[in-house]
Amino acid sequence: MNQDDNILLPGQPVTIPNGAAPDLGGGLYLKDGVIRASLVGKLSRVGNTLTIPRPRPHPPAPESVVLGSVIRLSPLQAVISITVVDGIPLPQGEDFTGVIRVNDVRATEKDKVKLGECFRGGDVVRGIVLSLGDSRSYYVSTARNDLGVIFATSEAGATMDPVSWQEMRCPKTGKLEKRKCAKPDGL
Amino acid sequence: MAQITSFDRRRVNGPDDSFPPIFSDEDQPGSSSSSPLQRESRKPKDIRPIFLQTGLITQANGSAYIETGNSKVVCAVYGPRQAKNTSYSEKGKLNVEVKFAPFASQRRKVPNRDAEDRSLAVLIHQAIVPSVRLELFPKSSMDVFLTVIENDGIQSCGTAGTIAASAALADAGIEMLGLVVSCAGSVMSNGEIWLDPTTRELEHSRASLTLSCMPALGLITNVSQTGQVTPQEAIQCMDACEERCSDIHMVVASALHKNQSAL
Repeated sequence: MNQDDNILLPGQPVTIPNGAAPDLGGGLYLKDGVIRASLVGKLSRVGNTLTIPRPRPHPPAPESVVLGSVIRLSPLQAVISITVVDGIPLPQGEDFTGVIRVNDVRATEKDKVKLGECFRGGDVVRGIVLSLGDSRSYYVSTARNDLGVIFATSEAGATMDPVSWQEMRCPKTGKLEKRKCAKPDGL
Repeated sequence: MAQITSFDRRRVNGPDDSFPPIFSDEDQPGSSSSSPLQRESRKPKDIRPIFLQTGLITQANGSAYIETGNSKVVCAVYGPRQAKNTSYSEKGKLNVEVKFAPFASQRRKVPNRDAEDRSLAVLIHQAIVPSVRLELFPKSSMDVFLTVIENDGIQSCGTAGTIAASAALADAGIEMLGLVVSCAGSVMSNGEIWLDPTTRELEHSRASLTLSCMPALGLITNVSQTGQVTPQEAIQCMDACEERCSDIHMVVASALHKNQSAL
């Protein structure tokens, strides 16, 4: 029963622990000077920020790290289907559409980017959401070392390994293919 | 000819005509033999007991099943998903759809014939939309699907639907200002106010009123009224409904607590 008491419900006032006024994170709101919960869940405090953590999938927001696969390529933009937002997979069929424009692929020599040498259809890409974009898609950027292609198959059909930030090697044929690779974690 | 046009291959088709079973008189508690102006089995300001459970539909992001007396409603919430074919919108969109099961009413109903389900959907949408923090869901839409399994009093379908939709939204983890609960009352022909009327009781009512509110915040989200009432009666009815709403809020809260601690 005591555990039940820690679960907050939408609209329930939150009693703030003593000390400096905390910042409000997700799942909380301030109305008429009272902090209230807007989700079902338990309160957690990280640093000076109070939140109700939400394990459920949510739509991308600016600064979210997303994973998606390339579904369409044109000289100007790559269209990706976003399936994971901030590490939480979206339900089947509820993917969001993202667009990587040619000048959002990398941070340097933006004008020399050829999209065909950075992505191919079916590649899985890690990116960061720049903005909400237009009515149809979110704008995504890969202009960071840890962002880019994280999974790709070669023409021979094998999963390739990254060898540099611009190239991947096929383990079957040994051929090099051009990709904008993400720096693997822990390197 | 009419029968052929109404035949829908995609559904399990019932018989062309169906009739309610005929019960012997003693089986029917509220039969016309007793005075229609004397409420049986409960007091005028009492509502039928509510059973509410969330998270029954595993495919949906959030769901709720509610039963009050003979009124039974299921609700499923999907989303937030990307709104397709719409222009850019800073706020999210909430879609509410209500469907009556063909067997929900006394007589078998052909689906999508009357506007009853759509007007109920509008009522439920108006009741819950002020509570949802749509500004946090740009470019997204959320779908709320309600199915009326059994209908005993159209008002109670609306109230049960509102409660179920709000509980399902909370279950889906969609940010809300507060839980919305709803209560209906009807003014009987003798001027008495009966809360949560059944179909049979509605036949003897002069007017009815549905009130939806967020008891946690003390805010009313929607009031809808049909029929003829004096202002005093309407205010009396709203007060009675609001009082009951805090009881219903406890039911919703305990259902959500139960589901959350079972995880």
